Amino acid sequence: MEEMREPIILSSVFIYLLICIGVGIWAMRRTKSANDFFVAGRGLGPIVVSLAVFSSTLSGFGFVGGPGLVYSTGLSSVWMVVCSSLGYAVGFYLISKRIRMIAEVRDTISLPDVVYARYGSNAVRLLTALTILLGVLGYLATQILAMALVLQSLLAPTEMFAGISLVACVGISSAVLIFYCVTGGIIASVYTDLVQGIVMIISGALVVITAASVFEGGLGEASTILLSHGGEDIMPFGTLGMMASLSWFFLFGLGLAGQPHIATKMMMNRKLSDNRIILPMAVFGYVIAAMLWISVGMVMRALVLGDVALPLGSPDQAAPMFLTKYAHPLLAGVVFAGLFAAIMSTADSFLNIGAAAIIHDIPKAIRGRALDNELFWARTATVGIAVLAAYFALYSYYENAELVALLGAFGWGTFAAALVPVVVIGLNWKGASAKAAVAAISSSLVINFAVQLMQINIPYGISAGFIAMLTSMILFIALSLIEKPKPLPKDIDRVMEL
Amino acid sequence: MKPIYFVLFLLLVIAGITGFILVGEPPAGAAGSPHPTITSMSIGGDGTARLEAIGRAPFYFQLAVILLASSLLYMGVAKHRRDRRFLLLITAVASFAIFVWYKVYSGYEAYLATGQADVVFGFPMPTNWTLWGVWGSFLVFDLIYIIAFRAYFLPHEDEAAFNALVAEVKADADAKASHSAAPGDA
Repeated sequence: MEEMREPIILSSVFIYLLICIGVGIWAMRRTKSANDFFVAGRGLGPIVVSLAVFSSTLSGFGFVGGPGLVYSTGLSSVWMVVCSSLGYAVGFYLISKRIRMIAEVRDTISLPDVVYARYGSNAVRLLTALTILLGVLGYLATQILAMALVLQSLLAPTEMFAGISLVACVGISSAVLIFYCVTGGIIASVYTDLVQGIVMIISGALVVITAASVFEGGLGEASTILLSHGGEDIMPFGTLGMMASLSWFFLFGLGLAGQPHIATKMMMNRKLSDNRIILPMAVFGYVIAAMLWISVGMVMRALVLGDVALPLGSPDQAAPMFLTKYAHPLLAGVVFAGLFAAIMSTADSFLNIGAAAIIHDIPKAIRGRALDNELFWARTATVGIAVLAAYFALYSYYENAELVALLGAFGWGTFAAALVPVVVIGLNWKGASAKAAVAAISSSLVINFAVQLMQINIPYGISAGFIAMLTSMILFIALSLIEKPKPLPKDIDRVMEL
Repeated sequence: MKPIYFVLFLLLVIAGITGFILVGEPPAGAAGSPHPTITSMSIGGDGTARLEAIGRAPFYFQLAVILLASSLLYMGVAKHRRDRRFLLLITAVASFAIFVWYKVYSGYEAYLATGQADVVFGFPMPTNWTLWGVWGSFLVFDLIYIIAFRAYFLPHEDEAAFNALVAEVKADADAKASHSAAPGDA
């Protein structure tokens, strides 16, 4: 079986990519309007939505970056995982019902649409759309680069693809992504998310079992090795310490509901009452898949510190190295497919909301109406964004790594800082004002940009995203309280009473 | 007190604690140090020394975060549905989350003092409290959502009221559409 490792892994990834293409072709027949393209006609069942919600939350970062972080810094990043039960609670208590209601009453297809319905301000809509677009480009570029690097590492050792270039790998992986996103829009995206979510849960569960059996004494032996080499890494706050871990808990726990690619999925369910089923499925799907993050990173760190394995060249090699050396070839195949699934499930969501920002939200904010023939332009914009992100990915790799890092800063932290006050608090408090929303979004962009551009090192490893989110939340509430509340449109007022 | 004032108060408390932490001079290796021989790894170093300047500030920081999260979740139920029982439920779960946080923090303090930690179910005890306790304590909020869904989050009356609103909006839209189509028909 061991000699078949390479063909098994390649076949798994190939089959997975074929499934994505197949889903794209199937979904194309169901996509007849912009409404279908962006919010699946608000007709999805609870299983599809729950798997789409959790698989979009856990990107390639969870499968590659997460284990790498644990390998490098111990359990500090575990606070990004344990906050997931709070993150989903915030999402479902505070926005899932109202966002779905506003989507139906106002026929909205994007988060900026919902924000406009709530505040009646094109400035807030425009700022929300621009924040989304900046974040999407950064996130997508990093996801495409990660996907291409993994594909290159899989293909390069084979005879047929020996010496394959990174450009070719970016081309292949982007082509599959573009194909199913352009043909099937969000319908293809959520149904591939369904497949991707299942693959991620299976691989997460199997990898934990494998990781626990690497040492004869299981994870306990790994813990004992780590405790004998300093020990801070296996304690609750890892090597980065308390404030780094707790600032991540704040940012990821309270910030999950502000992620536009997740919030948008909450508009798509067929019935409001489905939320009762979606929440538990998303929570458990996420935590099972995220176990890979903790177990692989911890075991690789123990192997290296215990002189069983050689140190890794970079932390991101933790998961691929673990799979290559310790996982059964069949499991390695499933997990590599799971890795592609994790990357693609997030990337397709970003393509979708990015296209909506360009062809729907920004034109509506500037000239009062969306583009004509939205479906055609949605497909064109999807191709455009993916090509631009692929270019950024290659440019950052070969020329200037700072560009994507800068755009990457407009990732989770900026979405959380900019959108949590505006969406999470704004949809639950009638006193929130449009001017405060503008101030909150602007401050979050300025703080995140400033920290990145000036390369400010915040003491105790405190996250810049946390500082930005805390500032924007305080500004949002304080400025709203100073202003006299304006009456809401009747329909929105009634929705906020429910 | 309106919940939004309490939320603002807690945010200001968190900002105050963060400010206090940032103002002081951080000790060397406050956020870890590079491993002496392995380039891709960091080490924690002396855990006690790196907390000296800030004392128990992180404990109070997280206490405020738990209260903030609970207050925000309380705001997620429509105002007229927030009864005494719901307030009690939220308070009970918040208290449980605070208890778990105390176990994490005190367990870590004990480890810093003695350098010893029991390994149970594969992890040191304070880490178990983090992995299962912190995650599990907030999971109770998710359970409340599932169990009390029809009591607080989407009661049948609210669902009916929403359906009535949708019907009104559609009727208005149809009326507008037929009104604008009328001249052409004539």
